[in-house]
Amino acid sequence: MARRQTPAELARKLENSRRWFELVPPEGVPIRFEVAGLAARFGAQLLDILITVVVMISIILLLAVLPFSIEPLVSSLAAILMLMIRAPYYILTELFWNGQTVGKRATGLRVLGADGRGLTTHAVVARNLMKEVEIFMPGTMLLVSGSVGTFWNLVLLLWIVIVLVIPLTNAKRQRLGDLIANTYVTARPKSVLLPDLSGSAPKLDFDFTPAQMEHYGRFELQTLESLLRTRSETRSSNVRRVESLVQVAAQIRRKIGYEEPVPDSRAREFLHAFYTAQRAFLEQKRMFGDVRDDKHHRDDD
Amino acid sequence: MSDSQPIRSTRFRAEREADWLALETLVKRVESGGTGQLDFQESRSLAELYRKATTSLSVARDISLDKSLLIYLESLVARAFLAVYAPQERLSGVIGRFFGGSASAAVRRSGWAILMAFAALFLGSWVAALLFNQDPAWYYTFVPAELAGERGPGASTETLRAVLFDTEGNLLAQLGAFAAFLFSHNTRVALFSFALGVFACVPSLLLTIYNGLILGAFWALYADRGLGTELFGWLSIHGVTELSALALAAAGGFRLGLAVLFPGGLTRKDSLRAASKDAVKLALVAALMLFVAGLLEGFARQLVTDTTLRIVIGWGIGLMWLAWFMLAGRRAR
Repeated sequence: MARRQTPAELARKLENSRRWFELVPPEGVPIRFEVAGLAARFGAQLLDILITVVVMISIILLLAVLPFSIEPLVSSLAAILMLMIRAPYYILTELFWNGQTVGKRATGLRVLGADGRGLTTHAVVARNLMKEVEIFMPGTMLLVSGSVGTFWNLVLLLWIVIVLVIPLTNAKRQRLGDLIANTYVTARPKSVLLPDLSGSAPKLDFDFTPAQMEHYGRFELQTLESLLRTRSETRSSNVRRVESLVQVAAQIRRKIGYEEPVPDSRAREFLHAFYTAQRAFLEQKRMFGDVRDDKHHRDDD
Repeated sequence: MSDSQPIRSTRFRAEREADWLALETLVKRVESGGTGQLDFQESRSLAELYRKATTSLSVARDISLDKSLLIYLESLVARAFLAVYAPQERLSGVIGRFFGGSASAAVRRSGWAILMAFAALFLGSWVAALLFNQDPAWYYTFVPAELAGERGPGASTETLRAVLFDTEGNLLAQLGAFAAFLFSHNTRVALFSFALGVFACVPSLLLTIYNGLILGAFWALYADRGLGTELFGWLSIHGVTELSALALAAAGGFRLGLAVLFPGGLTRKDSLRAASKDAVKLALVAALMLFVAGLLEGFARQLVTDTTLRIVIGWGIGLMWLAWFMLAGRRAR
């Protein structure tokens, strides 16, 4: 009979729905990166195009001040300038700013080499040359699509569909240029070091027996950790938080059969002590190969 | 369970926390201002602290159940990795290497593909010339109307000659010709024959042959009117560079196509990636050559109308390309 999904399994599914990939650097410890979202990448691209277009227009305006008329040339001049500004812009920014253009900086993205050995010049050049073929060529053709006839419009449509579909078909959201250059685009990791809950625990007035520690697993422990770490901003949310702490404490006491009464005012201390004891117990078990992922761990036997 | 000593993972953290924080400070500085921010000692400690942090991460994954600590270490090591393995390039180094050997080495490695491209060009021209000599009407089949302009079998010899020695006087017109060139037929052919090479070489081959057909038709038309030498001069001044650029672009496409067709011991994906290293360089060389060809067509061809001089300049520049490809970077190997 199929068992209902446990909350731990649900949470794991949720975790997996955020996309991750691992790189193995020469040090041999796999490092986890989050795959960049398509919306962020689209935003970065838009910002970069905006920047290059602004530079192109200002150069044309500068040229317009010169004493001869450039009117008949404007469109072809614009096209050349775009190419001559765009290609070096992407290549040089990504090379010298470690995989970030201005747009990627703003949206918190980064390009990195998939082999875990850093970004090479070849990779940067290849992925940005492919960008010309992939995005800008069909983009320019789209602007003149009225004049080229049905057949070429269909080819153009097909090409755009292929270019858009490829990133959706692979888990790491690589576009064609990323595939050829062997690069990934990742969301820039942020790091905050929070205090260790077990270290800052008050002196233990609560004692637990090993039998009382058998009930929970990693998932419940880490859920309790998140609960203990929540900060309350307003007075009303603080009241609600205290209430939930009391409820959780009562639930845990019932489950593990903790006899001594715990006054509501000490619920937090009790949970803290329980967290520390439970973590010590589970980590000890883990050391000896008994990994308990959640409270259903006994069902697996 | 109530021993007074802190638990193992807490001790683990307490022992290493100072290193992590030191690493984080260094990484923050590199993130905001590049690796150049650090002096020698700091760079060394960055590398050292990074290695320590990777070890910490690997241990913590095994022994610690502190979720926030794991998340912190994961992201810290990821950031430190990016700081340590950032590309350490200088613009002068990148450009110097490209011109000083890596591009020419890629061209030398692609000798067969380039030969194939030139062969396709010549095959096209030869077929077109043969067909034209049988029936001049073939001209209209090969040469697209917008490229032919007023040049065609129906045009008078005088018109044909005038096109060859047309000198548009002012700078603006020359700039216009230059701009028009860069987005002309041949540039598009070069781009497509490179990019479409991935599809087993076939589109590149067809495009190159087709370009040869156009060339051959022109050639036959002018030779028919006894203007062969003049056309040769007119074509030489930019054509040597331009047609070589076309051939190199097509050769880049061929390299990609051949990698897909005959991957050898690699998977097709890996083989394509390996070939792309040379192909990208060929594309860059072709782009550079097209740019030079544009300058030659826009300016030099208008200024120099003497056929002999045109031939000398055109082939002289061709020789210089050849010297670059054959000689640059030889000593380094």
